[in-house]
Amino acid sequence: MKSIQEISKLSVEDLQRIGADESIPVPQDLKVSLPERRNVRVLSSIAAAAVVVIGLGWFGFDRLSQPKDTFSDPYLAYAAVEQALMKVSKNVNTAADRVAESEEIINKVNYWK
Amino acid sequence: MKKIFAIMVLALVSVAALAQSGRDIYNKYSDEAGVSSVYVSPAMFRLIGKIPDIQMEDSQVNFSSIIKSMSGFYIVNSENPDIADMLYTDVKKFIQKGDFELLMEAKEDGQVMRMYTAGDDKTVTSFVMINKEESEVSFIAFDGKMNREELEVIIAEAAAD
Repeated sequence: MKSIQEISKLSVEDLQRIGADESIPVPQDLKVSLPERRNVRVLSSIAAAAVVVIGLGWFGFDRLSQPKDTFSDPYLAYAAVEQALMKVSKNVNTAADRVAESEEIINKVNYWK
Repeated sequence: MKKIFAIMVLALVSVAALAQSGRDIYNKYSDEAGVSSVYVSPAMFRLIGKIPDIQMEDSQVNFSSIIKSMSGFYIVNSENPDIADMLYTDVKKFIQKGDFELLMEAKEDGQVMRMYTAGDDKTVTSFVMINKEESEVSFIAFDGKMNREELEVIIAEAAAD
């Protein structure tokens, strides 16, 4: 889209040609090319390849860093997990006891106030 | 061009985020002298899911449903003071970097016990317990998709047992 200033600079012949919708001949010595999109495509390909390599590398690293199971018997594994959960529960119980003791102390202090 | 770099940075950040897990702590300490450790893999949990429900003789509470919804389990315990200190520091870093919420904390005479969970109101995706007493540190962590209410009720029931 041409601006008014650009249109005002056009010759009468050019205006007539545009009005008649005639094609404008391209000068032989004109050296203008469309923006190069090849670089963008190449960079995109490199980026895509890098993401794939990182992904595969991570997958490989993940597989290699996978520790070995401590138990080969699911029943033993179950028992170990349950024992650990019992330990967690025991700690909850200890914490609950502390809360009860604290409440008792607070109640005694409130009683003597 | 900026978009390409943004995608690459995002990919690297995702990889770095995935690298932070209980497994890293297990991998770092499990082979050290003076460390006892247990690992139960997702594959083993799939096997556990296929076995019938088990009721242990010394337990009144049935942990089956919770255990079957787990996908990874780690225990690292050390009585070696140097390793225990490092383990405690690493677990604290792991908790700070993760999306954990403090569930419970108890302190007494230098002993510290903290429990953390990650997930949402309904589901626990990760649970961590760290217990420090004198020169001993215990780290227990498990991952999965556990019903939060069920997990809390079962742990409380076992505590009252």
